[in-house]
Amino acid sequence: MKRSQFWLLVTPSVIMMFGFMLIPLYRTVRWSLQKVAYGEPGTGVGLANYATALSDPRLGRAVLFTVGLTVVVTVFCVVVGYLLAVAVNGLGRARPVVLGIMLISYVLPHVVGAVAFSWLFDSNFGGVVNFLANIVTGGAFGEPLWFTDVWPNRLIIALNIIWFMLPFAMLMILAGLQGVSQEALEAAEIDGASAVQRHLHVIIPSIRGVMGFVVLIFTMDVVRTFDSLIPLAPQATLLGNESIMFYVFRVAFADGALNLGLGSAINILTILLILILLTPSILNLIKESREA
Amino acid sequence: MTVQITPAEGTPAGGALTMGDAITRPSRGSASRRRRPALVLTALFLAATCLIMLFPFIWAALSAAKPTVVAFSNPPVFRFDPTFQPYVNLWQTTNFYLYLGNTLIVAVISTVVALAIGLPCAYALSRYGGVAAIILLVMALIFRALPRFAVVLPMYEISKAIGLYDTTYAMAAALIAINQPFTIWLLRNFFAEIPKELDEAAMVDGCTRLGVLRRVMIPLMGPGILTAGIFVFLFAFQEYLTAAVLTDVNAKTVPVFIATQIGQNLPLLQQASAATVLLTLPVIGIAFIAQKYLVTGLASGAVKG
Repeated sequence: MKRSQFWLLVTPSVIMMFGFMLIPLYRTVRWSLQKVAYGEPGTGVGLANYATALSDPRLGRAVLFTVGLTVVVTVFCVVVGYLLAVAVNGLGRARPVVLGIMLISYVLPHVVGAVAFSWLFDSNFGGVVNFLANIVTGGAFGEPLWFTDVWPNRLIIALNIIWFMLPFAMLMILAGLQGVSQEALEAAEIDGASAVQRHLHVIIPSIRGVMGFVVLIFTMDVVRTFDSLIPLAPQATLLGNESIMFYVFRVAFADGALNLGLGSAINILTILLILILLTPSILNLIKESREA
Repeated sequence: MTVQITPAEGTPAGGALTMGDAITRPSRGSASRRRRPALVLTALFLAATCLIMLFPFIWAALSAAKPTVVAFSNPPVFRFDPTFQPYVNLWQTTNFYLYLGNTLIVAVISTVVALAIGLPCAYALSRYGGVAAIILLVMALIFRALPRFAVVLPMYEISKAIGLYDTTYAMAAALIAINQPFTIWLLRNFFAEIPKELDEAAMVDGCTRLGVLRRVMIPLMGPGILTAGIFVFLFAFQEYLTAAVLTDVNAKTVPVFIATQIGQNLPLLQQASAATVLLTLPVIGIAFIAQKYLVTGLASGAVKG
């Protein structure tokens, strides 16, 4: 393909993408160096916002919480997603029904799912989970403070994110399983490989690429956790259960908190964190394109 | 990340069902008797997962069907006279239909435009070997990973300054841009599966590049366009953060509406459950239609990492 044709074809998309990303990003960078509110010209304050952000213990806690959440959710979803994908792949006629049911939580708006999720645990709204758990355990489950106690709250946040992200992991891995070589599987079986050995030595190595893709998407998406915390973590700031995005929201947008400069500085710091997390993927991508 | 996954060989679109038990097939016959406990365990695992996945909706639907006084009472009530009052109230006392309309308009506009500008771009990315293509793909990956607020808060100010704040156009435009990286990545992987010799043959026969794209590629891209379209539609339909920042009253979408109902009084909460059910029903339809295409679509192109 000629260079002129390439540019002709990519231009509309590039204008849209770069226009709506780079212009706002430029403004975020400028705001991060200013004391500023919406609609007003700011005054330059140098790196003061960065100094404030980095010395605020809230940021450190938010980063730790977000990264911890990402690791837990990703590991859980890759492992359980794999098991589910294998199970679903073995289904015959029931498969479309099971897949359809499992995809519902993924396709529903996350904030809506999180609201429905919060009702299950909130004793002000019936608290059906506590109720059922206490029937099963004969009252030993008690009444955990899902919204005001640090770890129970973390548990329901993680559960909610797993609930809507697990279908995506399962779907991607299931798609990957369609390409696993039947010959290799049969050969392994003839050689007397057990089911576990076949998974570990034949299937998993041949879907490594898909697994890498799932981990990449999970890293991007769970680091940006925001929607779920609105209904599930009303006390996030107090409990140290703020994600980075939630922290920015509270500082720079929510009710009267219009510290836009500080919020922008945190955004820039988050971008740096994400770039560090993405470096292996980016290098890999460049290497592959060179080879191709 | 590249592991060459053989594209689902000759699988027609929607062939996911026929590929049913590809992996268990070798172990039919005498082996199946020995594997019965494993099969029962698998069935239990899947049934339990399905139940857990569905439970929040079942509960929301029950809350919407209960009389208001017991809708959220503790301990929960399991026997009641079902009512449709919350649905009636939702329709009569709120602008739910308006928000639902906004949500659909934004999702449809952004899907159509994202595909219209994404297809040529993805085609060019899959066929051009220059450095510019790699740079563009890396930039797209970075854009995909950006924290939303870093672009959405400036968009808020800019849209206010130019008078587009709280319009469906601004929402749709923002979502097209935000989802464009995913769109071109996914479509590019699909294009990469189509042999380049086909382009050359068509051009020898006198087709221009654009002609190749329109007459040869797009007809072959059915599963790819469908898969990308489903994802982009869903992303737009789900978006909360962007909508919460860029809309107020006129362009408000359903996710924002439901989120603002929480922390209100009981009748409003019940309307929120009713709204959740109304939103979930079409989504269930989407999930059941989409699953057929997503697995084959993704298997034949997109998940090559």
